[in-house]
Amino acid sequence: MSEQFLEIKDLKKSFGTGEARQDVLRGMNFTVKKGEFCVLLGPSGSGKSTLLNIIGGIDTPDEGFVSINGDKLEEMNEKELTLYRRKHLGYVFQMYNLIPNLNVKENIEVGAYLSDNPLDVEEVLTTLGLQKHKYKYPNQLSGGQQQRVSIGRAVVKNPDILMCDEPTGALDYKTSKEILALIEDCNNKFGSTVIMVTHNEAIRNMADHVIKLRDGVVRHNDINENKISAMDLEW
Amino acid sequence: MKNPLIKRIPRELKSDWHKYLVIIVFMVIMIGVISGMYVGHDSMLAAVYAGRQELNLEDGSFELSGRASEDLLDDISSGKKADVRSYYIDKGNKEADKKVAEAVEDELNEQVTEKIEEAVRAQCAAFGITDEELIKGQIDAAIESSFDKAIEEAKESEEYRKAIDEAYDEAHEEVVKKVDEEWDEVADRYNLNDEFTPVPVKIYEHFYREEPEDNNGDGAEDATIRIYKSDSEIDKASFNEGRAPEADDEIAIDRMHADNVGVALGDTISIGGKEFKVVGLLSYVNYLTLHESNTDLMFDAFGFDVGMVTPEAFSQLKSRVHYCYAYKYDKAPESKVEQKDYSENFMKALITQTLVYDNEIEDYLPEYMRQASNFAVTDIEGDSVGASILCYILIGVIAFIFAIIISNTIEKEASVIGTLRASGYSRSELVVHYMSMPVIVTLIGAVIGNILGYTAFKDLAIYLYFNSYSLPKCHAVWSNTALIKTTIIPLLLMFFINLFVIVKKLQLSPLKFLRHDLVKTRRTKAMRLPRWSFLKRFRLRILFQNIPNYLVLIFGVIFIELMMCFAFGLPDSLKHYAKEAPDMMFAEYQYMLMGNKDDDGNIIETDEESAERFSMTELMYPKKSSTFREGMGSGGDESVTVYGISEESDYISLGKDTSKDALYISSAFSKKFGLKAGDVITLHEEYENKSYEFSVLGVVDYDGGIAAFLDADSFNKAFEKDSDDFSGYFSRKEITDIDDQYIATVITSEDILKVTNQLMHSMGGFMGVFKNALIVLSASLIYLLAKIIIERNEHSISMVKILGFKNGEIGSLYIIPTAIVVVLFAAIAFVAGYYLMVWIFHAFMLQMDGYFAFYMNRSSMVLAVLYLLIGYAFVSLIDFARIKRIPLDVALKNIE
Repeated sequence: MSEQFLEIKDLKKSFGTGEARQDVLRGMNFTVKKGEFCVLLGPSGSGKSTLLNIIGGIDTPDEGFVSINGDKLEEMNEKELTLYRRKHLGYVFQMYNLIPNLNVKENIEVGAYLSDNPLDVEEVLTTLGLQKHKYKYPNQLSGGQQQRVSIGRAVVKNPDILMCDEPTGALDYKTSKEILALIEDCNNKFGSTVIMVTHNEAIRNMADHVIKLRDGVVRHNDINENKISAMDLEW
Repeated sequence: MKNPLIKRIPRELKSDWHKYLVIIVFMVIMIGVISGMYVGHDSMLAAVYAGRQELNLEDGSFELSGRASEDLLDDISSGKKADVRSYYIDKGNKEADKKVAEAVEDELNEQVTEKIEEAVRAQCAAFGITDEELIKGQIDAAIESSFDKAIEEAKESEEYRKAIDEAYDEAHEEVVKKVDEEWDEVADRYNLNDEFTPVPVKIYEHFYREEPEDNNGDGAEDATIRIYKSDSEIDKASFNEGRAPEADDEIAIDRMHADNVGVALGDTISIGGKEFKVVGLLSYVNYLTLHESNTDLMFDAFGFDVGMVTPEAFSQLKSRVHYCYAYKYDKAPESKVEQKDYSENFMKALITQTLVYDNEIEDYLPEYMRQASNFAVTDIEGDSVGASILCYILIGVIAFIFAIIISNTIEKEASVIGTLRASGYSRSELVVHYMSMPVIVTLIGAVIGNILGYTAFKDLAIYLYFNSYSLPKCHAVWSNTALIKTTIIPLLLMFFINLFVIVKKLQLSPLKFLRHDLVKTRRTKAMRLPRWSFLKRFRLRILFQNIPNYLVLIFGVIFIELMMCFAFGLPDSLKHYAKEAPDMMFAEYQYMLMGNKDDDGNIIETDEESAERFSMTELMYPKKSSTFREGMGSGGDESVTVYGISEESDYISLGKDTSKDALYISSAFSKKFGLKAGDVITLHEEYENKSYEFSVLGVVDYDGGIAAFLDADSFNKAFEKDSDDFSGYFSRKEITDIDDQYIATVITSEDILKVTNQLMHSMGGFMGVFKNALIVLSASLIYLLAKIIIERNEHSISMVKILGFKNGEIGSLYIIPTAIVVVLFAAIAFVAGYYLMVWIFHAFMLQMDGYFAFYMNRSSMVLAVLYLLIGYAFVSLIDFARIKRIPLDVALKNIE
């Protein structure tokens, strides 16, 4: 692994005011190295999705900062943030959010269009096992296939960071493992840094870096020296 | 790489083709009909205006009792006044000389005879002759032999010469005195002593004959036809069908008249007892409406006709020739004021020259006052008002539809938008993307609509004009108004409304989109409902949940009712006006006199007891012009009829005393311009730079026209008239003791009916087209609105299906609340639509001449609501089918 790539410093975020105020992030600190497969683990309400959204530049912290390659997100205006997401990030959500009237290939092209050096769409389709489905529309696909498309849309940009928010949350065990394997593949093959939010403890085993959150703070920040392949995961 | 999002657009069009088809049909009908109206309107006017040049429309014409000599024509052409005073003096002197000479001759004869008799009697007495018989014989013999010599001697005497010179001088003095007196009166009547600038003209012979026309071969006269020669160089005709006559038994007649009486090309008609074959159906440039006389209130395309024959055929006709001459100014007048100056100056030259050439003027009419060539144009110019109102209503409707569709689409695609924004799509890329669909749909609608506007619908508009007037053939001209109003404005509106809505909607953060958190305020607690049955409460919840959608629906229903008010209300308003107009007359008979004195200079009086004098003049009230069609009838000032009413009038009662600068106005005037007592208005002359300021004393209840009232005394003072001046008589009964030649116009309720019937006839066609178009458009709108509500609830409907609700139950859950809303708000929406229409109608009336208020029959009001409910009932059936078709997996599958 190379040097520190992503730095999270004293990050705080709360929602609501007065009695209804809820501190979601209460001073969070950690760093991620370039190319790392980093898993943010934690139960519901631990602030992991909020953290991911702040790293992704679609939410802002109340205090603290996120810095990528030395650039602080809080110093960026909206246009720069959009550019940051466009050039550096790939997003995979629990809900696939595919465009219903574009076929598989075109949905992936939606990602490719944004990138200055996109991956070859056909190659991505092959990697994701979507070659034979490439002309199908989202409503002709299963949930797992739709999630593959959404991963394709994210990785085709050849992003520096692949942000995955509970990518297997809506999938069955087998499909989940396949999807995880695909993300692992992308991490290995294309060298993207992966930050994955999950509440599935088993997934920690396939990560380089495991950050465990609870009540808005980092409880554990471990480097996993014995990571295993996604396909070997059991839960 | 091209933005892959572009590919969505054709697919979106294809997948939701019902919706887009309805919108496109909506736009095509709207743009097509309105553009057709404008194109037809502009093409017609262009053809009329072009005709005025190409067909050499006169600047005026006059008719003389006898054929004019070359010298007379030359002198009239010069535009110079003749020296009428000298002419009168010369003429008077000649007559006086003749009379003096005759008187002197008689006197001389008498004196010489007396002298001879005296001499003979003296001689006889000297000779002692006393026999009277003998003396008389001697006298006769003496007269016989020496009378001539004696006369000659007498004439050579100094005494005689002196006497005769005195007699001539005295007679000539008398002549000059008499001429001066007469001249003052003539000069005063025709303002011959005023400032005068000669207006040179070119004169064209434009003789005609009026013959009886028998167009159905029954031997009876069906109409009067005014026949002109085919070689005329002025006021030429264009041919709608056929050609000009070439043989002596050929004729071309007015197309409108032919249509009305059923004469076709190739038919034979009898003119003055001679058979003619109809070879052409024409439109004379100076007879766009068949006004037989300029003072006719309405034209008569049945009983009057104009026609063209060869010069040979013309000479063979038997009725008298009307020596009509048309003229064109050498230098065209540049303004209305100049137009009037020209015609007044020319009239002075015409009157004086005709007089000195011993000819007589039968008729004189400057072209700008000629009804037959101006009536149709003015009418067409003002005709676009209906289309304008419709256009603005529909633009509003379309903007509304698109605003709903866009916000719906954005809400529906919130997650996709959130994902795209999170992935790095910029806001502007998404704005452009979401803008493209409405812009493309509007463009498609605009292109098809305009094509139809320039073809089918234009012909419809032209057909409707052809139904009313004798118009020339026309071809489609490019209409800027049509393009601006039906294409540019909707496009711009669509563009900016979309831009506004989309930019506003996309302002939210990607996260909010991802969370579907698009509403700013969210209800935190559910409203507690009474302990009703579950289904009732469920229905109520659906109703509460859909409040924003129902607001949109209510708004849409108001639009529909607005369209219904237009569809039903416009013909109703016209009919109402037609029905009320005769009752709006001041008097059963209104006689306008040519002048208030007869040929002998006596005031024209009547013994009719109910007759009452009134004075009248036309002035203009300045209007703010706020229209694209500036200068085309609708942009001009409002014409105001100012009446001078007798004190103690039986016909119009004025409250406070008026003065030369304070008057009453009609209720129509007050309503149209929002004037009230105490306001100050400035009225000006149309053809002169002269204006008058009046304060408004009050409002007279009279909706028949834009009018103002003063008492006769104040009227004459205000307009610097003689104290006994007046313009005509109001009367309850027909006046029979005023010679027709002194009467300019008589207006009776029948005339008003003719006018309103003609109005109905001209506008009736448009009304029908508008009404049908609006019903289709209203149906489209309710279809779209209902579809939107079901679409928004698709997810929930799918979910309740999964839970096991039957289609019928779901229908009752989702359709009944909508139905309740529609029924509850139909009446309220009607009231809103009605008042909106009243307001719009008033705003447009401001751009028109005259005034009539918006009116709707009770039955129309009921129908306007009923149509909506029936329309909605049909749409509910479609909705039910839609609900049945919603698949279960909508709620389960995450395809968004």
